[in-house]
Amino acid sequence: MKRAPAIFLSLFLTASSLCAQEIVAGLSSNRAQVGEPVQLVVTVRGARGADVPETLSVNGLRINLAGRSTQFEMRNFKMSSTLTYTYIIVPQLDGEFTIPSFDVSIEKKIYRTQAMRLSVSGRAGAPQAQTQTQGPAPMPPTPMPPGPEPSAPDNGRPFFGDLVLAKKSAYVGEVIPIELRFYFHARIGGQVGERPNFSGEGFTVQKFSNAVKREQIVNEANYVVFSFQSSITPVKAGTLDIPAASLEARLQVPGKAPQGFDSFFNNLPIPQGMFAETQDVKVETRAQKLDVMALPKEDRPADFSGAVGKFTMETSVSPKKAGGGEPVTLRVTVSGQGNFEGMGAPVLTGDEGWRSYPPSDKFHSADAIGFTGEKAFEFPMVARQDQTRTPGVRFSYFDPSTGKYATLTQDPLPVDARAGGASSGAPRQTTGTAAPAAPSPTPDITVMSGGASSWTALFFRKEFLAANAALAFAWLAAVIAFSVRRFSASPAGRTLARKKQARQAFARLGGIAPASFYDEVSRFLALRFNAPGDQASLVERIESSSFPSEIKSSLQQMVARHAESKFAAGGSVPPSAEERESVLATLKELRHEK
Amino acid sequence: MKNNPLCLVALAFTILLAAGLRAAPLADARARYADGEYAQAEKLFEQALESSPPQAAVFFELGRCLRQTGQEARAALCFRRALVLDPRFTPARLALLETNTDLGLPKFPKIWKDHVLERIPMDALTLAGTVFFWLGAFAVMLLAFLRASNGKGWFALGILCLVGGAAALALAGICDPRITDRTTALVLKTGGSSLLSSPADQSEKTAALPDGGTVTILSQRGRWFYGRLPDGKCGWFLTEGIVPLIPPA
Repeated sequence: MKRAPAIFLSLFLTASSLCAQEIVAGLSSNRAQVGEPVQLVVTVRGARGADVPETLSVNGLRINLAGRSTQFEMRNFKMSSTLTYTYIIVPQLDGEFTIPSFDVSIEKKIYRTQAMRLSVSGRAGAPQAQTQTQGPAPMPPTPMPPGPEPSAPDNGRPFFGDLVLAKKSAYVGEVIPIELRFYFHARIGGQVGERPNFSGEGFTVQKFSNAVKREQIVNEANYVVFSFQSSITPVKAGTLDIPAASLEARLQVPGKAPQGFDSFFNNLPIPQGMFAETQDVKVETRAQKLDVMALPKEDRPADFSGAVGKFTMETSVSPKKAGGGEPVTLRVTVSGQGNFEGMGAPVLTGDEGWRSYPPSDKFHSADAIGFTGEKAFEFPMVARQDQTRTPGVRFSYFDPSTGKYATLTQDPLPVDARAGGASSGAPRQTTGTAAPAAPSPTPDITVMSGGASSWTALFFRKEFLAANAALAFAWLAAVIAFSVRRFSASPAGRTLARKKQARQAFARLGGIAPASFYDEVSRFLALRFNAPGDQASLVERIESSSFPSEIKSSLQQMVARHAESKFAAGGSVPPSAEERESVLATLKELRHEK
Repeated sequence: MKNNPLCLVALAFTILLAAGLRAAPLADARARYADGEYAQAEKLFEQALESSPPQAAVFFELGRCLRQTGQEARAALCFRRALVLDPRFTPARLALLETNTDLGLPKFPKIWKDHVLERIPMDALTLAGTVFFWLGAFAVMLLAFLRASNGKGWFALGILCLVGGAAALALAGICDPRITDRTTALVLKTGGSSLLSSPADQSEKTAALPDGGTVTILSQRGRWFYGRLPDGKCGWFLTEGIVPLIPPA
């Protein structure tokens, strides 16, 4: 038993370092009077210490760090620590103030709080708490009225719920933002359900936003608040009972030390949660009443389509220039606050020269519950006659703040749209203000239409492919012919031709008549040594060749024999078979020119 | 036959008779349409299309009939087919715009190809490109081989013809809808169809295929097509109710 404190301490040191760090900053109230102090509480979780500034500098406010407290909790042997730094803000001037974000250093990491707003006036403001939580920016919350500060539960329970209605009376069809707040004392841990249970008769409820977690000081106690935003829409007149909403939660509620622990341990600074009990609870808000009035029948515009709220309207057209029969789109944007879901489309006026079609609509919400936003209606239109202006637009709604109907109008916009000449389809009129469109006169289609009479593109038709193949063949043949001709005229081509002639001359030597033998030998030698013309040049070429002297001598004898057979009176003696063999053997050596 | 003029007369008569028989359903169809008998006109237009080569005007007229009888998606198919055959057929283009608006289909902005198609007939472009290409090819080849003096200007002109002709052919190949729309199909299914993430009935629906909308078919697996929507989304859809824009041969 003596080692128990040491065990607790080691558990504390081990577990506390595993907790995630989180910083939450909040004001005890976002409204104050001059001179009335307000608390700014910075809560640091999952850290053993943090460096915070001693003072914050804001003109008109005096902000000083007043104190620091530490709280330890243990749940299922998991230790967590919470540091609370409390600043006292004393307003010195009235006006709207922004307390800037400031750095909080935790174990060399810098975290920043978010900026907070404080409204200081000469009169007492409602004690509406405002807190900021670090994390991704959620959808902007719907502005709720400054409701009364929830009273701490008098029965001692550390959790309670609250339902905040934006209004206590409303009209049928009016959207009323609501907020369900579920308060849990900061000492309590646990898990809460994702969505509250809330329904009733005589009104519809929108889907709840995701829970926003924040901290709030209520009667000097720190509470964690889970708030859910939504809206209700009354569907019948009379007094509506808004039933209680509930949220299921599994809580770790601090308990007493079990029997058997002596009083010594009960007096030790044992972390809270050490002996926590798990409880499944249903946290409920209070039921409320709502007075609902019917929409007045007097002065109700004929084109009123159920919109209740406060709206503005803008129009635009695109394209500004459209060819014959091309559609243009008239975009009407209705923005503001109200029942966008139950809202009908605006009405087109002066659209007799247009064929209009049912508009498409798209809603873009600016808050989490679809109360504030803008709804865009797009009217596709085709000009039936040439048009220079779009139709006008009219939109009527009921304004609950004045209790009267209001009508917004937009003048026609300039546009250059040409009438289509081919229309013959059945028109679909939507606005009911234009006369039915008559089928357009149809020009002589057979005259207007040309085009192909085949599904096969010209590229893939046989005739086209055959013609192109023929042209390609002709082009290729011409290229080959010209190339051959050019090669023949070139030195390389001439050399090739000469060699060919030489080979042919040598081939003829075998079977030639003896009388012409040396003529052919001389022709072969002239081709072989590329010595056209006279005999002297042939002899000169032979002499300058690189053949052995015996071969050169034999060749010169052959040249001489040819001259003899050509010029000697009475001719020369025809070569004998042996001589022919000898000559052919010599010439065979020359046959292959390098 | 040369010696027998009766044969020539008989041949001419046969040709005229065939032309007359072919034109008969078309004339009848137009008369029925003018009288407001759209259902009968529709059948006759279809007959005319079956018995003769496709014509943009006949598809357009059939599309008008179908619009009058409330068959918007089929009308859109006919107008599109008319535009495939003759992309410069303005009445069909306008009618298709209106039909698509009626069907609630999104309008996609014109791209450069559409502007080309509206201005230049594709067959003429192909022919002109071919002529210029071969003129250039032969001119360049002759001038290169003959080495004509003072032929630089002609050589440049030949190169210009060659490149210009090739460019025209490439343009026709890129723009001609009979080439580019070979894999395009229309959804003709009341209520439309669905684009699924995989070829299975229970798979996740990723987009809607509206009645009258177009899809590009990329492949087929059994009774499933894999395709792409005009907005670029790809997925699987059943082959039922998917009609190719260019009728199969």
